[in-house]
Amino acid sequence: MSEPLLVLDDIRKNYGAIEALKGVSFSMAKGEVIALLGDNGAGKSTLVKIISGGLEPTSGKMLFEGKEFLAHTPAEAKAAGIETVYQDLSLCTNVDVVANFFMGREITRKVLGVPVLDERAMEDVVAKALADAGTRIPSLRTNVEHLSGGQRQAIELNRFVHWGGKLVLLDEPFAALGVDQTRRGLEMIRKVAAQGIGVIIITHIMQQAFQVADRIVVIRQGVVAGDVETRKTSPDQVISMITGETHVGAGPAG
Amino acid sequence: MNPRTRRILEFVLDNLVWFMLLFVLAIFSAFVPNYFQLGIFANIIEASSVLGVMSIGLALVIIAGHMDLSVESVAALAAMAVGILFCSAGIGYGYQIHPEWLMVPVSIAVALAVGGIIGLFNGYLIVKAKMNAFIITLASYIWVRGLVLAISGGRSAQDLAPAIRWFGIQRLLGLPLTAWIAIGCFVVFSLIMAKTPFGRHLVMIGGNETATFRAGIRVTRNLILAFVLAGAIAGLSGWLLAVRTSGATANLGIGLLFNAFAAVVIGGVSLKGGVGSLPGVYAGVLLLSAINTAINLMGLPANFTQVIHGLLVLAAVMLDTFKQTIRQRLA
Repeated sequence: MSEPLLVLDDIRKNYGAIEALKGVSFSMAKGEVIALLGDNGAGKSTLVKIISGGLEPTSGKMLFEGKEFLAHTPAEAKAAGIETVYQDLSLCTNVDVVANFFMGREITRKVLGVPVLDERAMEDVVAKALADAGTRIPSLRTNVEHLSGGQRQAIELNRFVHWGGKLVLLDEPFAALGVDQTRRGLEMIRKVAAQGIGVIIITHIMQQAFQVADRIVVIRQGVVAGDVETRKTSPDQVISMITGETHVGAGPAG
Repeated sequence: MNPRTRRILEFVLDNLVWFMLLFVLAIFSAFVPNYFQLGIFANIIEASSVLGVMSIGLALVIIAGHMDLSVESVAALAAMAVGILFCSAGIGYGYQIHPEWLMVPVSIAVALAVGGIIGLFNGYLIVKAKMNAFIITLASYIWVRGLVLAISGGRSAQDLAPAIRWFGIQRLLGLPLTAWIAIGCFVVFSLIMAKTPFGRHLVMIGGNETATFRAGIRVTRNLILAFVLAGAIAGLSGWLLAVRTSGATANLGIGLLFNAFAAVVIGGVSLKGGVGSLPGVYAGVLLLSAINTAINLMGLPANFTQVIHGLLVLAAVMLDTFKQTIRQRLA
């Protein structure tokens, strides 16, 4: 493996007396897709929030592209190239599709030295990005509150594909999607990974993990309970890791 | 429904307050004697300038998902500061600057600074220290008014310097300059809200603060800035108040807060945040002013104004719910 994209070394997170993460370590390469599995409350979402700058770990080290890196805010993580799609959608339903797509990175032009939103340029970009992904939304100027759950999730997914970055974290991205949209979503993930972007996807659905991931990492009670290549394991084996019957490949980051 | 009717319907819904204003003006013009005159319309705009400017600041903060109850007291404090510095009678010091016109920018700067500082205080406690906006600004509403009473000793300042007073007297196209200042504020802030990233971010923060934080928008900075702006604009409305009354009294502007709330709600701003536009708020302000003028002309006791304002706010909220229903059908 060449230089790893992301290394987590003994990440711990306490909430008062409760230990949500008790020392999580693993590493991933560029262009690799990792499925993060685990039972409810295992600490998956906490881990994702730490990587994406939404939470700070109690202790532990994180290397990103070989350098020690810890995002204190989502903005810092984004600047470093870490994109996140959360399970509760991060859309502002009171504004339109274009505004959501460009949230926080609006295209502006200067008018008398004042930055002014360049709506037309932004709309063109969004129209192209959605067309490329085969997503159809009736009007880019409708407020997101009027769109269906599937359409909303499609906007989120297209947003991360468009902005790319270096590492993408997906927290149960397909919870509200139909069969066909899920298939397209999984294709999108492979397409993104093929560009050399690392992807970590949290999911509850075993089938999806086996469809899309190169490696499966199982978190159980705040520690890595399993770290295996997808093609060398089986759903039954993974389930027993999740429920705590076996430990495979778990250990410090290498 | 074909796209054309849909577009027209959307347009009507988006600008419903303006249609209400036109409707009300038409009704009053038809039934209230002497209502239909240019002078009356100019008077409606003139009478709404102080309330209008104050409503802008309030609307900004409410659109961003918060609340500012202190605007009325802030305006009074700014007016009192200007009054004490630049009035020559009562408790005024009659402070002079040469050339005289320089007193205008200086007095405006004083009013903006007074408001901005209190806005910063509110914003810091609410956004950084994460205290409840309602409580913090209610406290400011009380202590700032108390400060006005304390520094004035309950007395008033009269005879504002003529150079400043000039703004309340001089007319351009039939409207006093104070009214033009209000209109200018609405134009500038409408553009800021609709066309700049800052305005867009405030609307999105009001809609879903978590999402904007995750997207890397500097939520804390933007929100504090919104509170500072609300304070500064309230200060400017205090300056207008001082100009209009040629001085300041300790109980200046009492009751304006509730009218500002009424105008903001009638103007289509949702108290839940994230929804509303400033042109709508201006229409709301004009609507209140149009009704006040009609009540005056009809010779009704002024006490009725309050009843009508209250009913109008109720009507506005009901209308908002009704609009939501229609929009859901449209989508």
